[in-house]
Amino acid sequence: MMETANRLAQHFATEKQRKFESNFLRDAQIYETWNEVEIGRSFQGKQKFKVMEEDVLSYNKAMEETDLLLIDAAYATENSPTKELIQHPLFVVKVAFYCIENGPGSWIRSPGAKNPGQKIEILEPFKIGETISMTVTPIDRWIRRGKHYITDKLDFRNESRIHKATWWLTLIIPPNREEILKFAQM
Amino acid sequence: MKAVRFSQVNIGDELAPVEHIVSQAVIDRYAVASLDYNPVHTDIDWCKRARVFGTPETVGHGMYTMSLMASVILRNWSAAFARVRSIEAKFTKPVEVGSLLRCFGRVKELHPIAPGKNFVLVELKAVDKAGEPMALGFAEVMLPD
Repeated sequence: MMETANRLAQHFATEKQRKFESNFLRDAQIYETWNEVEIGRSFQGKQKFKVMEEDVLSYNKAMEETDLLLIDAAYATENSPTKELIQHPLFVVKVAFYCIENGPGSWIRSPGAKNPGQKIEILEPFKIGETISMTVTPIDRWIRRGKHYITDKLDFRNESRIHKATWWLTLIIPPNREEILKFAQM
Repeated sequence: MKAVRFSQVNIGDELAPVEHIVSQAVIDRYAVASLDYNPVHTDIDWCKRARVFGTPETVGHGMYTMSLMASVILRNWSAAFARVRSIEAKFTKPVEVGSLLRCFGRVKELHPIAPGKNFVLVELKAVDKAGEPMALGFAEVMLPD
């Protein structure tokens, strides 16, 4: 485990990355589980995400983008139509994991989870300096071929309540705490 | 890169593919960038025991594959002007560490709604070295008039 943490730490480039818990097995005892989630009940994400230039840059660089508008802040300030770094369309993934942390929607971190497919709508790209709040609404869970699926609707808004993005987040996860803990204790 | 305009795009246009080898370093970098530290991606020893996908190896993030599919659009049409307004993907096979991932895009539909609202639907596909589909999807992309 320490070896994994050390390997990952080599890539830390932002304040959020340095502070965020990288061991997802640690809090498995408190993650939401498929059988306990209340469908239809909304919660605020545990954390708010203040969009920093370094956050955008680290996502774009992880995708090995080469367009200077995505990876060179000074160039983007001069040449981008928004006068700031252009964001990769999937940047919202980082915002979601940060906002959820180990609170509402934490089944996203379940050991043993599988990703069948996702849908994301971006109404307006996030802007550097905005503080993003996320609402988590479990909208469905179902069983197909013995697998337990669940979907949360994640809505992202800035401090002026402008709706920025929605992610229909679906995973196949272990059906209950006992099964999650089996994976966590392997 | 010059902006591609809505009027310049045709149904059937192929976008140049993007390919990456999904090494453990690529997976680690994406885990840190996305804050998705599920051990199935990052914990090599845990994967040997858990075998979530039947393999003892780590696997790449589905969201990395989806991001690479979106990168096809960014790299073919200027990221500054082509705005992905929605994207969806279904993952058909896990991407084992060390796999080659090749992503393609093809214009499927044109939606001439109104100036400033026109968009195209791009069909996206990610395949492995053997051409086996790893993910299939679509993106709606707004382009300048």
